[in-house]
Amino acid sequence: MTQTRAVEPWTLEPLQRFVAESAARLALLTTTSGQVIAQHGFTRAVDVMSAAALGAAIAASTSEIIRMLQEPAFRVLAHQGQRHGIFLARFGTPRGAMLALVVYGGDSSIGLVQLFFEQFARDLAAACPAPEPARPVLAADFERDLNESLAALFGR
Amino acid sequence: MTTKFQAALDSVTRVRGVRGAMLVAGDDGLVVAESLMEGIRGNAVAALAASLAKRFRRASETAAYGLPQFIHLQASQGLLLAALAPSGMLLVVVAEADINVGLARLEMLRAGEAVA
Amino acid sequence: MSLVNFTTREITCKIVYYGPGRSGKTTNLQYIYGRVPEERRGRMVSLATQTDRTLFFDFLPLELGSISGFKTRFQLYTVPGQVYYNATRKLVLQGSDGVVFVVDSQARQLDENIESMQNLHANLLEQGLDIRTLPVILQYNKQDLPPELILTPAELDEALNFRAWPSLPADAINGHGVFETLKAASEAVLRKLSEERT
Repeated sequence: MTQTRAVEPWTLEPLQRFVAESAARLALLTTTSGQVIAQHGFTRAVDVMSAAALGAAIAASTSEIIRMLQEPAFRVLAHQGQRHGIFLARFGTPRGAMLALVVYGGDSSIGLVQLFFEQFARDLAAACPAPEPARPVLAADFERDLNESLAALFGR
Repeated sequence: MTTKFQAALDSVTRVRGVRGAMLVAGDDGLVVAESLMEGIRGNAVAALAASLAKRFRRASETAAYGLPQFIHLQASQGLLLAALAPSGMLLVVVAEADINVGLARLEMLRAGEAVA
Repeated sequence: MSLVNFTTREITCKIVYYGPGRSGKTTNLQYIYGRVPEERRGRMVSLATQTDRTLFFDFLPLELGSISGFKTRFQLYTVPGQVYYNATRKLVLQGSDGVVFVVDSQARQLDENIESMQNLHANLLEQGLDIRTLPVILQYNKQDLPPELILTPAELDEALNFRAWPSLPADAINGHGVFETLKAASEAVLRKLSEERT
């Protein structure tokens, strides 16, 4: 069963609704620097990160071209392949700008994705909580955990 | 909008009871040309009608009846009509409940062939 | 900027490998990719030219595991080193939590190293990032080359390291110093994160 997973819990319901209505195969919500906020349809976390990085790169380079042309910021970018289409949109929330990367197949369409994306963006803006105050993150001795993790990674 | 598309939509919107007509890219669900009264959410109707048309197509092909030609959706307060043009475009009409469906259908099929 | 989620207890940080062309940035990532178990890393994305020069970036996601109860992931990026790719270097730098500056230790590349270092300063300034607060690690790569061709770490410190950043010698092609550099960068990034939020 395809899973929807949210790093930020407030995004889960809007994302589930969007995926159900638009029949999207894959959906990814990220910050503009490619950090994952929520995803649907991916099986491995590290594949999600790669897709997020590429989506952020596409969005960043498009924004840069538009800036050079002195045009208003782009909202939507679409690619159409033989079997799948990709929809990439940039939108604002109280927590800052976000990116949505959507992959759809023959059972959906760019028109359908675009239609339900507008509602999705509104739902997210409405559900978004205020930014959290700073809280302690790591224990003072995090180095020990880090060293053990890195050593395990490198087989040392 | 090209003259051809405009002429096709004009012939359909002349039918009494038609509130709006659109030419929609069948695969994308995007509006190619439109002639709509105020208050009709053209983009939304186009995308959803195209999605419906795809599903109907699968159903009719599965039944070995070939491609669907005309879709008639009767709602409590009006009608949604769609004709598949040979070009792959969809002609979508939003109409009052008391429209002459036969006449609308005729004009829609003619218009669909005109934009092929 | 690091993404910290207290509900799911996840941290994601971005480290960018910067430096002049052919200094060994991609080599660092390739070595890491080759050594890390498949379940702890993603596919390495390389947007490169036909001659394998980095065109946009290389990207490697790593799962570090649990650190202080937080599932910790690092996104490692490289930038294209050639001068004319500055626009894309700026884009890749956005949102970075730490930088590994990969220095080409060859004496004849000193000017390129300096130019790249100046470029890093300029790009960070443009993004409103204060380089004095950003974790930076210097990696003096290609220390395996004949001594007559390279500058020593002390000489490179003198020429480039006016901010007294941690610096490490390396021979990335054979993996020497790659792990140590990543460790130093990870520690610095996580320590800064820890300090920022207390």
